[in-house]
Amino acid sequence: MVLTDLQPGKRATITNISMMSDILKQRLIDMGVHEGEEVCVKCTMPFGGPVMVEVAGQCICLRRKEAACIGVE
Amino acid sequence: MSQIALFGNPNTGKTSLFNNLTGSYEYVGNWSGVTVEKKVGILRSRDAYVVDLPGVYSLHPLSRDEGVATDFLLTESFSTILNIVDASQLKRNLHLTIQLLEFGKPLVIALNMIDVAERRGMKIDVKKLADRFGVPVVPVVARIGKGMDELTEKLRSVEQTKPFTLTYDDVIETAIATISSYLPDDIERSKRWLALQCLEGNERVYEYLRAKIALEPILAIRKQTEESIRQLPHGRSLRERLHHFRETFIEAVLEDVVVWTEKRSLTWTEKIDAIVTNKYLGMPIFLFFMYVMFMLTFDWLGSPLADLLDQFFSGPLTDTLSRLLTAMGASGFLQELVLNGIVSGVGGVLVFVPQIFILFFFISLLEDSGYMARVAMVMDRLMEAIGLNGKSFIPMIIGFGCNVPGVMAARTIEQPRERLLTILLLPLMSCSARLPVYALFVGAFFKAHQAAVVFSLYVLGIVVALLLAKLFSSTILKNEHSMFVIELPPYRMPQALTLWRSTWDKGKGFVRKAGTFIFGGSVAIWLLSYAGPKGLHVSMDDSFLAAIGGVLAPILAPLGFGTWQAGAALLTGFLAKEVVVSTMNIIYHVKDTDTLQGLMAHYFTPLSAFSFMAFVLLYVPCLATVATIRKETGSTKWTLFAIGYALAIAYIISFLIYEGGKWLGLS
Ligand SMILES: Nc1nc2c(ncn2[C@@H]2O[C@H](COP(=O)(O)OP(=O)(O)OP(=O)(O)O)[C@@H](O)[C@H]2O)c(=O)[nH]1
Ligand SMILES: [Mg+2]
Repeated sequence: MVLTDLQPGKRATITNISMMSDILKQRLIDMGVHEGEEVCVKCTMPFGGPVMVEVAGQCICLRRKEAACIGVE
Repeated sequence: MSQIALFGNPNTGKTSLFNNLTGSYEYVGNWSGVTVEKKVGILRSRDAYVVDLPGVYSLHPLSRDEGVATDFLLTESFSTILNIVDASQLKRNLHLTIQLLEFGKPLVIALNMIDVAERRGMKIDVKKLADRFGVPVVPVVARIGKGMDELTEKLRSVEQTKPFTLTYDDVIETAIATISSYLPDDIERSKRWLALQCLEGNERVYEYLRAKIALEPILAIRKQTEESIRQLPHGRSLRERLHHFRETFIEAVLEDVVVWTEKRSLTWTEKIDAIVTNKYLGMPIFLFFMYVMFMLTFDWLGSPLADLLDQFFSGPLTDTLSRLLTAMGASGFLQELVLNGIVSGVGGVLVFVPQIFILFFFISLLEDSGYMARVAMVMDRLMEAIGLNGKSFIPMIIGFGCNVPGVMAARTIEQPRERLLTILLLPLMSCSARLPVYALFVGAFFKAHQAAVVFSLYVLGIVVALLLAKLFSSTILKNEHSMFVIELPPYRMPQALTLWRSTWDKGKGFVRKAGTFIFGGSVAIWLLSYAGPKGLHVSMDDSFLAAIGGVLAPILAPLGFGTWQAGAALLTGFLAKEVVVSTMNIIYHVKDTDTLQGLMAHYFTPLSAFSFMAFVLLYVPCLATVATIRKETGSTKWTLFAIGYALAIAYIISFLIYEGGKWLGLS
């Protein structure tokens, strides 16, 4: 399952971030988004806009196609 | 004098702390990437310099502003690192702390946002934290200046203790040892730190080393280490592996140091977010906010205040000055210069100070509340469609205040092409300097719909910028890979003092400009209007100014304002856009804004007035913006492009407005 499949408000654990581009991966790891961390989808913007997720007590916003590269369970 | 450098994650309160330590008023705001360049101040006790730097997540920079911090570590000499750590985000913040400790300079940790952490139910054992890292830790609340004395004390007494070393696994340790042995002995930075940064793949460090040694062996070791690590069961990259070790260490420390007293309930940030970043309401709420801002600036509050000021300038002030000048026995020339040149020119712009301060107040409110990053998020979909990303919208909003800091703020955009495109389009954002021009014209021609007409100009600027972004990004500035990740900070109640300071700080620039550029411009314009080819004290139509403006008049005729007055005003507007108003005041030789507005009806129709306003909005960026664009892009070619396309688009749009309007039967 990937992050975008997650229902808003539900929690899951990140299992795989290796599918992302390097620069993006670095940014997300630096922000605390990495394997083993818990995520929760807060909301999604219309027309395929970005998603807002909560990781380790902070909110981060990223594009939907990039969120689709994050495997969760 | 010793130098203390401030390092920390973005938006952790570095600048707030800097302001408190040094008594300065640097730019504070509630989003990541407020500070984009190095700022130096002097400690209140006057015995050390303090350097504020842009926030970074790690020492491996991805954007231009982050590069400033890493470059500082590599190239400047300083004595102490002050690491600001956000107590409510300890885990993430401490990654940077470890990297800074590995750097090996004396370090003090300022544990900031203690108030937020406590509200979330975190209790932090400061003493234990200090023990585990072997450095002083001082709890502070940078926002209100709590803990400053203790911090200053610790900064003064901190000494190099035994270096902090985090031990990684054998593969990595071997690589560190091999790389260190390659590094020359006289190198000024810690070898272990350099080796670790090489393993992280930090390009800035590569560059730094390339100047001293051949890099190939190091890159080879890195590659080899990367491969051995991929062989390991979980198959992570080297960088992730390093991160993993730090994370394990930090988790162990936090286990020991942090006690959670209560489970947190829904915070009010989440409640507000449910509304303002709502799927369907997000965009309308933003537009509504903008609308209220315009109504207050132009209709409800700003205009009445400006009128009062205008009455004061044209009445009591002019009378007093003229009596004073007569009493001093000033010559006719001097009297005219002061009253018709300076008072009309400078005063004509200063009357709009109330409106400008109201606008700045709203921009500061937007900056300090935490809404800024949400706007970026709400706008991202639209921005993506035109080849930019949501982050570009932040410089644009700042640009509504003044284009210069807007251009600077584009530094936080990671992709160079998106950054360049944002810089190029930024001058189309209607800055506060254009506001006096609008205020003058809408007061004369659109009395009933002032706010709506001005709002339409702001929208025009944005729409033109978006269309051009689409055009440029699909032709000359094709982007390889767009990205958008932004941190959404918790909302914070803006403090009255901070709001006032940042409003004043922006407004000050405007008032200062009135005393310099506009003053000088007014004197020059008045002299040009006073002198002519036939001598001094000529009638205005025979002056040099008329001659110069007259050259432009025929070119401007298709746009509806082919008079030498308009030509002269536009020409001088390149200095600063407010000067357009000064010039008009001087040329039409009037005492107050009301009379000027009455007189303008002879030279403009509502349609040509609108066309003129659109032209002022779009044509060439002002001098200061041009200089900043040159500095930030480092390219004369792109600077000229920014001027050229703006002129062209201004001409086309004004032409369409005027001819289209005539065709529709408007006048
Ligand atoms: N509640 C609380 N808010 C704080 C504290 N310190 C700073 N802030 C707020 O945090 C926000 C960020 O402050 P800045 O000083 O601009 O942060 P910065 O680290 O310089 O940010 P960048 O320059 O973007 O890296 C502002 O809204 C401050 O008012 C604190 O101790 N408690
Ligand atoms: Mg700052």
